[in-house]
Amino acid sequence: MADETKLAGKEKEIAPEALRRADREMRLPAVVPAVPYPVEALVPQARLQTPAVGQRATRPDGRLHGLGQTRYIDDLSFPGMLHARIKRAGVASARIVRIDTSAAEATPGVMAVLTGREIPVNSFGPSCQDQPVLADERVFHAGDGVTAVAAVTGQIAAEALEKIVVEYEPLPAVLDPLEALEESSPRVHPPSSNIYAKKIIRKGDLEAGFAAADRVFEARYATQMVEHVSLEPHAAIAEWDPNGRLTLWCTIGRITLARADLARTLKLPMNRIRMIGTIVGGNFGGKNEITQEPVLALLSKKTGRPVKGVFTRGEEFTSTTTRHPIIMEYKTGVTKDGRILARKVRLVLDGGAYCSWSETTLGKAAILAAGPYRIDNLRVEAYVVYTNKTMSGAMRGFGAPQVCFGYESHMDDIAQALGIDPLEIRLRNAFVEGSVSPTGQVLHSVVVKESLLKAAERFGWKEARP
Amino acid sequence: MKRRGRGIACMWYPIGFTVTANPSAATVKINEDGTAIVLTGTVETGQGSLTVLGQIAAEELGIATDDVHVVSGDTDATPMDAGAIASRTTYVTGNAVRLAAGKAKSILFEIAAPLLGVRADQLDARDRKIQVKGFPQRGLPIGEVAHHAQAVMGQPAIGSASWNPPTVAMDPETGQGKPFSTYVYATQIAEVEVDDETGEVEVLRIVAAHDCGTAINPMLVEGQVEGGISMGVGFALHEQMLFDDGGRLINPNLTNYLVPTSLDMPEIEVAIVESFDPTGPFGAKGVGEPTSVPTAAAILNAIHDATGVRITSLPATPDKVLAAIRAKAARKTIPHS
Repeated sequence: MADETKLAGKEKEIAPEALRRADREMRLPAVVPAVPYPVEALVPQARLQTPAVGQRATRPDGRLHGLGQTRYIDDLSFPGMLHARIKRAGVASARIVRIDTSAAEATPGVMAVLTGREIPVNSFGPSCQDQPVLADERVFHAGDGVTAVAAVTGQIAAEALEKIVVEYEPLPAVLDPLEALEESSPRVHPPSSNIYAKKIIRKGDLEAGFAAADRVFEARYATQMVEHVSLEPHAAIAEWDPNGRLTLWCTIGRITLARADLARTLKLPMNRIRMIGTIVGGNFGGKNEITQEPVLALLSKKTGRPVKGVFTRGEEFTSTTTRHPIIMEYKTGVTKDGRILARKVRLVLDGGAYCSWSETTLGKAAILAAGPYRIDNLRVEAYVVYTNKTMSGAMRGFGAPQVCFGYESHMDDIAQALGIDPLEIRLRNAFVEGSVSPTGQVLHSVVVKESLLKAAERFGWKEARP
Repeated sequence: MKRRGRGIACMWYPIGFTVTANPSAATVKINEDGTAIVLTGTVETGQGSLTVLGQIAAEELGIATDDVHVVSGDTDATPMDAGAIASRTTYVTGNAVRLAAGKAKSILFEIAAPLLGVRADQLDARDRKIQVKGFPQRGLPIGEVAHHAQAVMGQPAIGSASWNPPTVAMDPETGQGKPFSTYVYATQIAEVEVDDETGEVEVLRIVAAHDCGTAINPMLVEGQVEGGISMGVGFALHEQMLFDDGGRLINPNLTNYLVPTSLDMPEIEVAIVESFDPTGPFGAKGVGEPTSVPTAAAILNAIHDATGVRITSLPATPDKVLAAIRAKAARKTIPHS
C-alpha cells in the first residue's frame, strides 16, 4: 500500500513535465519559423526542359503545401473581420411561420442578423433557380439555412444562432425517390411535379433485338448518397467597400458563373463584383456553385466589415451538394456467344431538394448507361425527382460511377451465365474506332479494347490464379 | 476464411459539358526576356491543372514549364472560364491557352522574320529560340526577339483567344445528337480479399489503364488516377449518407461517415493508354473524373468472383456482404424439394 502511494506520487511528479513537453512539441508555433527559400537550387529538371509537353513537371504550389505555407481562406484575416454562421432548419419540409431574431441581435458581439426576406433575389441554381439563399417562406430539406449571424467571433455567432426562434408548421415530406415518382406523393416544390427532368435515348428496334436474342437477362442495382468530403470546407470572405463594390475570396471552382449568380441574387452589375478563386483544398464537383456567398456579402454590407464564413463538417454533409443515388434497371438480350443485341435501361435519380446539377447528371448517366459497348438496339429512360433531402449535384463523374457499377455488374453476370471470361465478353462488345454511340455520334480516338488489354496484361489476368 | 477474387470494369466518359456551350478564354503575355505569363479564369482545385496549362503554353512557345507563370481565378483580371468541372480544363482551357500562346508567338515571328531574313511562316519556336524551320542553327534567343518586339518595335507579344467544344443538341424524343466533342476510355482491374466470417473486404491491388489522349504531364495523370481510386474505394465499400424518418441526416460527421484512409488504399498500378485526339491541345483529352468511375464496379465484380455473391446496392459494407454469403450458404444446404 505504501509502495503504491509512493509510486503514484512519483508519477504525479513526472507526468506534468512530460505532458508539458509533449504539448510543446505538438503545438504549431504562433509565429512560423523563418524558412530560407533556395529557389534556384530547388527547380527540378523536368520544369526546365524543352519540349514541355510530356515532362513530369512538379507543381509550383506543391512546395507551399509541403511547407505548410499555403493560405487557404481560413488562414486569411482582415482588420475588423467578422465571422458568420448560418442557422439550419433541422426539419425536412415545413412552412416558416415566424422568425424571432431579437435575442440574437441583443447578444454582445453580434453585429448583424440576416433573414431570407432581406435577400434581393432569393433564388439561384445552375439550370433552374429553385434554391433559396436562405429559406424565407418554406423549408425544403433539413439542411436549409434560415437565418445568418455575423459576430466578432465564430463562437459568439454560433451561440447567437441558438437564441433565434423559428416557428415551423410541418408539411408532408417525401424521402424515397420511387415514392416521389408517384402522382399521389407530396410535392417538394408545389405546384411543380416531383419529376423535374427526363431523358430518353432510342436507337434501333428494341423489340426485334430482344426477339433475336438467345438469352435475356434482367437486373436491378442501386447506389447511395455520398459526399465529396473535401478536406477544406466551403469557405468565403466578403468585403463590401464604400463604393458599393464587392470583393469575394471564395473556394468556388467556377468563378465566372458564380459572379453571374452573385449579380443576380444581389441585383448588382457584374463590374461591381470581384470574385477571387483562392487555392482550394478539394472540390470534386462540390464547389461549383454559390452557397453562403450572397449571405456574407449582405452581412458585410450591413456591418461595413469584411465577413468570413467557413462551413462546419456537419454543414458540408447537410447543406452542400452530394452524389445522386440512382436506382437502375437493366434488361439485356445477348447471343449465346455473348454479343449484346438489345438493352433497355431505366434510371431513377434522387435529386434531393433542389435541381442543382441534376440535369447534367441525368444526361450523362443516360448517355453512358449502356456502357462502352456496340449495341444496335437500345432504349434508355431516365428520370430525376425531387425529394426532401440534401440536394444532389455535381460530383466527380456526374452519374457515371453509378451506371458503370450497373452495366459492369450486369456484364459479369451475363458472362458467368454464358460461361465466357469477363475480359473476353467485354472485348467482343467494346466500341472500336468509328463505332456509333447511343446518341448516334461517330466516336474517334477510341481505345476501350486497348485499355482492357493493357490492364489485363499488367494485372496478369490470363495467367493461372494462385 | 479469406477468399480472393478479381474483377474487371471498363468505362467511357465525355469531356466537357453536355451540349451546352462551355467556353474558356485565355491570355498569354510574353515578357521581354522570353518568359511568359498565362491568364486564365479557371481555379486550381488541387489537380495540377495550372501546371498543365503552363506546360501547354510553354510547348507552343518553345520554352520550358518553369519559364511560364500562370495567373488564375480573378474575375477582375483573368478572362472568363466555364470552370474546373466536367474534366474540361486540359481539353477546353488548354486549347484556349494554346491558341492564345500561338497568337503571341506570331507577333514574335513577324518581328524575327526580317532579322533572320526569312518569311514569318518559315519560323519555329523551339528550345527557347525562334529559329528557321529545318535550320536550328539559324535562330535567335526568344528573349532577344521578345525584347526587340517590345522595346524597339513597340509591339509587345500578347495574345488572347477562346475555345468552345463543338456539339450538336440531342433530339428530345430519341436523344440522337452529338452531346460531346470527345470521350476517354479506361479499364480498372481490382483484386480483393473477402473474409467470409466477417464480410470485410480488403482491396489488395488495382491496375488502372486510362486513356487521356496525350499525357501532358504523366505524373499528374498518375496522381489523378490514385486520387480517383481512393474515392472509388469509399463509394464501393464505406461511404453512405443515412437519413432518419424525418429526413434528418444521422451521420453528418467523419466518425460515422467513413472515408477511406491510407490504410484502406490498395496498391495501385497506373498504365497510360496511348491515344491522340487531334481536337485537343497537342492531342490531349482529360482524365479528372474518369479515374473514379470504374473502381466500384471492379471491386464489386471482384467480391462476386471471390464469394459468388452479387451485391446489387452500394456500399458493400461487411454486414451486407456477410448476409449475402450466409444467404447463399443457406440456399446450398437446403435441398430442393
